[in-house]
Amino acid sequence: MEQRDLREDQATVARVRPAFAHHSEAELARILDFYQVRWQYEPDAFPIGWSLDGDVVESFSPDFFLPDLDLYVELTTLKQTLVRKKNRKLRRLRELYPDVRIKLFYARDFRMLLLKFGRLGLLGELSGTTGQATPPREPVVAGSALPSDAVVVADDGEADAEAGHAGRGRRRGRRRRSASRAAAAVGIDPASPVTPMPA
Amino acid sequence: MSRPVDLVNDIGEVLLTEEQIAARVAELGRKISADYAGRNLTLVSVLKGSLPFMADLMRQIALPLRIDLMEVSSYGGTATESSGLVRIIKDLSASISGEDVLLVEDIIDTGLTLNYLVRYLRGKNPASLKICTLLDKPARRLVEIPVDYQGFEIPDQFVVGYGLDYSERYRNLRFVGVLRPEVYSGPD
Repeated sequence: MEQRDLREDQATVARVRPAFAHHSEAELARILDFYQVRWQYEPDAFPIGWSLDGDVVESFSPDFFLPDLDLYVELTTLKQTLVRKKNRKLRRLRELYPDVRIKLFYARDFRMLLLKFGRLGLLGELSGTTGQATPPREPVVAGSALPSDAVVVADDGEADAEAGHAGRGRRRGRRRRSASRAAAAVGIDPASPVTPMPA
Repeated sequence: MSRPVDLVNDIGEVLLTEEQIAARVAELGRKISADYAGRNLTLVSVLKGSLPFMADLMRQIALPLRIDLMEVSSYGGTATESSGLVRIIKDLSASISGEDVLLVEDIIDTGLTLNYLVRYLRGKNPASLKICTLLDKPARRLVEIPVDYQGFEIPDQFVVGYGLDYSERYRNLRFVGVLRPEVYSGPD
């Protein structure tokens, strides 16, 4: 059964590609495809900063979500000296959403990954930008439905789709709980998203 | 690889000596022997990197065991661009159904290959499936898979030797060493 599933996985890994912000992300997507690890590109935006009026002014949107592993992956190809902002956002995310599992791949990590796979030709292109900051999105509440432009690369059919929905429901529930905890931790009422954030 | 290989000077640091490896492999062998006493053990080695480890480990296990070999394609290999998916290059030569299988790996870093192999082997209905690795590089882990027998946890450095390669070279070193960055980066 497992072997048949594997073959089905191989047959159904879609070739649709979102518009990646950086070619390193496209390369990681190819690596994940190769090893048949399902992924979604920037499916969620986590609010990490609010204005005094309660408006979300800063979000963090990890590059990938791996549903089978319940893991977010953030890829930064910036030089180590330039990743302070990214590290701060990651710290904030972990403070606010402790249940969210996220792995940060620094430029060095990704460089070593390419080296391992003999993709040396790409090493020189790991410049990156200071971008990948998340523009304001709607909805911005953690635990919201996946955005319509989220790309699920592997579609395992109806049965797995149902399982996927169930999994997504569990994930949403977890994120809602995380969001509630985050809100409580910073002094806002989760039921009232416009409650001002403390300075 | 245009740069000539220098088995001595290309190594910046010896991470694990031949003696350290041998001692640890013997320990692992004793533990595996105790854990699998009275069971039908099959060691499955993943080519090519785990060959020296497999050869040494099996001789430290005092049980009547079977061995088998597998090889899977690696991302970035010559077949990657056309197929785009990992595939089994060499499959098991015998059934492992009902057998207690110990998957023997040289190194686990991202866990991507291991994740694929575990899924594949579980589909062959072994009585049990456990994992033994000589080297574990947890800093690089993407897929968390429990490792049952671990030789050494190593830092996040590019290592070669004792089966591990860079561009198919250095596998025959008797120790595990850190490759000098200039070997794979080229001169600045």
